[in-house]
Amino acid sequence: MTIEVSRLTKRYGDVTAVRDLSFTVAPGVVTGFLGPNGAGKTTTMRMMTGLVSPTSGTATIGGRPYRKLARPSRTVGAVFDANAFHPGHTARDHLRVYAAMGGYPDSRVTHLLDLLGLAEAADRRIRGFSTGMRQRLNLATAMLGDPRVLLLDEPSNGLDPEGMSWLRGLLRRLADQGRTVLVSSHALSEIQQFVDDVVVIRRGELVAAGPWSRLAGPPLVLITTPDAADLAAALAAGPAAQVEAVSADRLRVRGLDAPSVADLAAARGLRIHELVTENASLEQLFLRLTTDQAATR
Amino acid sequence: MKLLVRAELRRLLATRMWSALLLAAAVLGGAMFGAMALVGPENFDPPMPGLDTETGLRAILGILGYTAFVPAAAGAIAATSEHRHHTAAVTFLFAPRRGRVLAAKLATYAVAGLAYGVVLAGSAGAALFTVAAARGISLGMPAGTVLALLARIGVAMMVYVLIGAGMGALIRNQVAALCVVIGYLYVGEPVLMMIPGVNALYPILPGGATAALTDFTYLADAMSDQLGSGTVPLLPPVVGGLVLSAYALTAAAIAVLIPMRRDVT
Repeated sequence: MTIEVSRLTKRYGDVTAVRDLSFTVAPGVVTGFLGPNGAGKTTTMRMMTGLVSPTSGTATIGGRPYRKLARPSRTVGAVFDANAFHPGHTARDHLRVYAAMGGYPDSRVTHLLDLLGLAEAADRRIRGFSTGMRQRLNLATAMLGDPRVLLLDEPSNGLDPEGMSWLRGLLRRLADQGRTVLVSSHALSEIQQFVDDVVVIRRGELVAAGPWSRLAGPPLVLITTPDAADLAAALAAGPAAQVEAVSADRLRVRGLDAPSVADLAAARGLRIHELVTENASLEQLFLRLTTDQAATR
Repeated sequence: MKLLVRAELRRLLATRMWSALLLAAAVLGGAMFGAMALVGPENFDPPMPGLDTETGLRAILGILGYTAFVPAAAGAIAATSEHRHHTAAVTFLFAPRRGRVLAAKLATYAVAGLAYGVVLAGSAGAALFTVAAARGISLGMPAGTVLALLARIGVAMMVYVLIGAGMGALIRNQVAALCVVIGYLYVGEPVLMMIPGVNALYPILPGGATAALTDFTYLADAMSDQLGSGTVPLLPPVVGGLVLSAYALTAAAIAVLIPMRRDVT
C-alpha cells in the first residue's frame, strides 16, 4: 500500500508549515522522514491521517484519503504523541478501549502485550511507565488492527540503545512482511542504519527523496597512520577516491569505504593506527544536497 | 456506534473516578442526606419546617438536588479527559468521524449519570424512610410523592452529567470547564437572579429548570421575598426537565460541530 502526498500545503495564519510538498512512500521498505525540528514532519503526518486538514493538496493511503478508509485502524497504525495515555489506566485498559473501538478481540490485546514485551507490566497503571515502555505501548496500540501501513513520529525519542536496536529489528521485520513503514526523525544518526529510503524536508519544503544509498553520497573515512604520505599516494593512484591530508598523520578519504582502505593498506604493507567511518549528519546532508542542487541548476 | 459506546464504557469504567463517583452518590444520598434527616430541618440554623410538613420535606429534598454539581463536574472531567491526556488524536485515528465519537461519549455518560442518580436517590430514599421510622415521624407527603420526587432528582443528576459533558466537550480545557460549570451553577446564576428583570428569566435558566424538575421552590421563594418581588413561577416539571436536557444537547451539538473542523495537534 503506497502513501501518496501531492502538493500538500498547510498554512497557520501567516506561517506556512508545509509548502507544496509531494512525495510517495513505497511498501516493503522502511522510509525515513527527515528534517530539523519544525520542518513540518509532524504536520505532514497528521495531514496524512486526517487529524489536521490541509490548506490545499492531498494525502492518500492506497489511493484513498484517511477519512474515507472503511476501517482505518485496519489499514494504518500511527504513533504521534509519546504520552497519549490516561495515566490512571493500565496498559491492558488502554489497549482494550481501542480494541473495542476497532472491533478487535481481547486475544489481540494479549498477543500485542506479549509481542511488545509488556506482558509483565500489563496490569500496572501507565502513570509509572518509563518512556521506553510508553513507546512500546504506543506501538501496540497502532498495531491492534494489524495495519498494512505504519506511521511513526519520532519513535526513537527517549529510547535507550537497547530499545533502539529492538525498534530497528521490529521495523525491519514489518517492512519485510511487505508493510509500508514511515519513520520521522530529526536526527539522521538515529535512523540511518535502518532506513532504505529517505524523504528530506526543510522549512516545509522537499529537499530530496529517494534511496538512502544514493542520497548518502560516497563514504567518508578518517585514517590515522604514520605512513600518511605513502598511503595518500597509494589511495590517489587507486579507483576514484579523493584524499585530503588533515594533519601530518591523518587523512580523510571520500569515495572508498573502510574495508577497502584497510585492504589496500595491507596489500602495500602500510600501517594504520585508526580507521573511522564518518557518518553524515543531517546538517552535512542538507549542505551537500543543497549545494548539489545549486550545482545542477 | 455500538463499538464506540463499548469503547467509551471501557474507558470510563477503567478509571478510579467512576468508583469514586458512585461512592460519592452513596455518601451524599445515604450519609449526608441521612444525617440531615436525622438532625431534622427544624433544628437547622436558621430553622426550617420539619420533615412532618410538606414544605420541610420538599426543602430537604431540594438540598439533595443541589448536589448536582458533583455529576456536572464528573461529566466535565470525563469529557475533557481526552484533551488533557492527549488521547484525542489516538481516538480520532481509530474513529475519524468525530461526531460519532462524541455521541458515543454522551450516550455512555447518560448511562453512567443514570446509575449515579439511581444510587443517590435510592440511598437517600432508604435513609429518609429509615430515619422517619426510627424517629417516629410521619412524613409530610405520601410515600408515593416522595418516591416520585426522588426519581426526578435522579433524572436531574443524569441530565447534569450531560450538561457537564457538553460544556467539557465544548471548552476542552479541564480546569476551565470545571470553573465554568460549577462557577455558573453556584455563583453566576444566583448573581443573575439578583439583577432586576433578568430574574424573570430564572425559570428557563438551568437552576430554575432544575427547581421545576425537582419541585424545589424554597430558594426561589426566599429570593423573591428578599428582593420584594413577586414569586417567579416555575415551569411545569416535565418542561423543566426538557429545558435542562436542551442545555445539555445544545452544548453537545456545538461541541459535535466544532471539532469536525478543529485540527488535532
